[in-house]
Amino acid sequence: MSMEYRKIFRCFLVCCAILFGAMLWCLPENAAAPSVVAGSGVAQDPWASAAGKVVVLIFVRTDCPIANRYAPEIMRLSAKHASDAAFWMVYPDKRESSEEIRKHEVVYHLALPVLRDPQRELMKRAQVSVTPEAAVFDAKGRLVYHGRIDNWFEDFGRARPAPTTHELADAIAAAASGHPATLPSVAAVGCYLSDLQ
Amino acid sequence: MICWRMMRHVKMPRVMIFSMRKQKYVGAIAAVLAVLSVIAASHAEPYRAQHAFAAAQNAAAAASGTARQVTAREGTDREVTFNRDIAPIVFHICANCHRPGEAGPFSLLTYDDVKAHARQIVSVTSRRFMPPWLPDRGDFAFADELRLSDEQIALFRTWYEAGTPQGAAKDLPALPKFTEGWQMGKPDVILRATKPFTLPSGGTDQYWNFVFRAPVAETRWVRAVEIRPGNKRLVHHANLLVDRSDSARHEEAQPGDGFAGMELQIESENFDPDGHFLFWKPGTLPRPEPNSMALRLDAGDDLVLNTHLQPSGKPEQIQPSVGLYFTPQPATEFPVLLQLECDKQLDIPAGEKHFVVSDEFTLPVDVELLAIYPHAHYLGKDLLALARLPSGEEKTLIHIAHWDLNWQAVYRYAQPVKLASGTTIVMRYIYDNSQDNSANPNDPPKRVVAGNRASDEMAHLWLQVLPTNEAGANPAGAAERVGVADPRIKLEEALARHHIENNADDFEAHYNLGAMLQMRGETRDAAAQFAEAQRLRPGDATVENALGGALLAMGQLSAAIEHLSAAVKARPDYFDVHYNLGLALARHEDFSAAVEEFRAAVRLSPKDANAEANLGSALAAAGALAEAKTHLERALTLNPQNTLARENLDQILQDAPH
Ligand code: HEC
Repeated sequence: MSMEYRKIFRCFLVCCAILFGAMLWCLPENAAAPSVVAGSGVAQDPWASAAGKVVVLIFVRTDCPIANRYAPEIMRLSAKHASDAAFWMVYPDKRESSEEIRKHEVVYHLALPVLRDPQRELMKRAQVSVTPEAAVFDAKGRLVYHGRIDNWFEDFGRARPAPTTHELADAIAAAASGHPATLPSVAAVGCYLSDLQ
Repeated sequence: MICWRMMRHVKMPRVMIFSMRKQKYVGAIAAVLAVLSVIAASHAEPYRAQHAFAAAQNAAAAASGTARQVTAREGTDREVTFNRDIAPIVFHICANCHRPGEAGPFSLLTYDDVKAHARQIVSVTSRRFMPPWLPDRGDFAFADELRLSDEQIALFRTWYEAGTPQGAAKDLPALPKFTEGWQMGKPDVILRATKPFTLPSGGTDQYWNFVFRAPVAETRWVRAVEIRPGNKRLVHHANLLVDRSDSARHEEAQPGDGFAGMELQIESENFDPDGHFLFWKPGTLPRPEPNSMALRLDAGDDLVLNTHLQPSGKPEQIQPSVGLYFTPQPATEFPVLLQLECDKQLDIPAGEKHFVVSDEFTLPVDVELLAIYPHAHYLGKDLLALARLPSGEEKTLIHIAHWDLNWQAVYRYAQPVKLASGTTIVMRYIYDNSQDNSANPNDPPKRVVAGNRASDEMAHLWLQVLPTNEAGANPAGAAERVGVADPRIKLEEALARHHIENNADDFEAHYNLGAMLQMRGETRDAAAQFAEAQRLRPGDATVENALGGALLAMGQLSAAIEHLSAAVKARPDYFDVHYNLGLALARHEDFSAAVEEFRAAVRLSPKDANAEANLGSALAAAGALAEAKTHLERALTLNPQNTLARENLDQILQDAPH
């Protein structure tokens, strides 16, 4: 993608070996500048590696119960859309150590590449405000949807037995087929990113 | 929760004595009906119970006092800080659940913890989702209310909007000292589920039952129970039931496996109404009931833990434990759980937003209301219980304007609520079967009727009451209280008749009324009720046995044999049935068949002196004197006072050729 984005993703890394759902990490924890960290030792830009696919960022934190309960659904969706969408987990909470994040990925069986966003650059670009929240970028890198994954949670403590609308899946399908974004953002229920440092 | 509609299974025929006349053994059988006296004796051993209550936060009250004080003292303009204003609320109320090992999904123990969820805390407190507490303020206060005051809720918002200031270090109160592990010290007995249950990472909520087999070897009085549900983050609530008749074991594929199911039905033998809620919800501390209400646990009784589990996003193992605390003092006061219900009225059309059911029951005796437990499933919206006093005045017992099955709980009154005989308990529940109800299990909505599955509905109201008049005149003589004049029987009988009036097809009500009539010696009326129950569930081992037993007591032998044989067929490992069928066959003078039934009974319960005595007697009647002697002697070893065995043995020895 464009140079601009590359700038954002300047350092970083995470080598993730996915082995039975477990990931190994080497992640520079407090690198001074880095805002977004990802990949496997090389500076990596989700859009650069997307190869024309839709890019999906899922914002989570390790201590957010609603985000945690979405883990199986996140994995199901990423597998289902593997051919047209590249999924990334984004952990924006600076307080979370790489060890905590690694453990989180293992116990919740989140076998997806991970990004960190200490400078909030991805957050701003994705215009998200809670966890769990999804952002979908089309093949041109344009933000086409951000908001809830589906309508499972109506409010804190008010969950449907199963969701009846599927905003993220619909947005991925629309973006993958090159349709212009038609979905408005639908607010997600979860932990507010504004509560983070 | 649990359908604790218990069947009071009067083991009446078991108390019939199979005796021989002192002539020849052939056909000399007379069944002596000692039903009444023996039943009375069997529950002369007074029942009851214990507690288990959630508790927590007496400090809640203290903290709420603090908040109000602060506002009053300093007005609204001063800065609200974490250390001075927020920490007291969080430490005393939230931290009970929001600390490691407890039910809350994250800790709220430090400034950083709270700040990292500040805006979310404003949301969840202003919607009153946290702390979890469903009932509105009513006419009677509950113990351990977990309700924030409006001032406290406003403090969270003001603090958040001011940018979450931390404040002066000197203002920070100390964290309360939390007791880790068993809250009342090491229990006298610790039970641990044999096998963990594996909860999948996702999907809908699950309901799982763990059976703790025969935890005590002799009768013990339990003054408190602590339920440790395993991983508290997954268990929304748990109900512990005493199973005196091995009902739950039969649901397990292998001993220790546990079994699925949201509602449980447990039979109980004798008139031994359940008097105690053994309930766990997040934040629950065990609360002993007064020793006067200790719970009786007999050898062989099982405990069954019914749990409501919510997937967390990762696969989990749940292996609960239960701690029992004993007291040497037998109970002298016997509360009863009364159940009102409107299940028959539940036929909720798809899309209906405001479906109302109601029931009214007038108390036939004075009671003290100790606790209340409303129960509906996912369509429940507004649950109300009132007491209409004899004066006509109405008092709200509980009102939950936003029912949420996930946070269902037993609520204990801060002070017992005195309700005079003639007071009418009114329940009125409203259901929402429209799409607006996000918890609706059906999408699109469809017609829903009563049932045990999560997708069915229920309309139950449980009251824990302590009868206070009548036999209460003799509080020390507990044994006398549990006779036929026991106010508990009056209550239960009135309730069973009330249920039958509402629903002629109420199986348990017919069965229970039959059992109570049987206990009073009204065998013919009892048989009629059992026959109604049998009509509703032909082939059910328990009811076939009861009906067979009543018919046997009335001397209707062939009908008795027919029903008892049906019971044996339904449940071949049912001791009572073999025993009773043995009696019926013996009275019918079919001794060889009787011998086979008594053999089966002895196999199932080798320590039962009566079964051995009857086996010996039937053998003697069949002419097998040598073997008869062995069994009669064994009966006397088991119980030297067994007169049947003594008499028949004497007879054999006397008649034996020297
Ligand atoms: C009785 C135990 C208990 C108490 C007391 C309690 N909580 Fe909770 N809290 C829970 C549980 C259990 C959950 C998880 C709820 C769920 O997953 O549905 C929770 C969840 C939360 C959440 C996350 C909501 C979500 O769905 O993401 C917040 C925020 C919260 N509690 C704040 C508080 C605050 C603030 C207090 C005190 C004013 C408090 N809680 C008191 C048990 C408690």
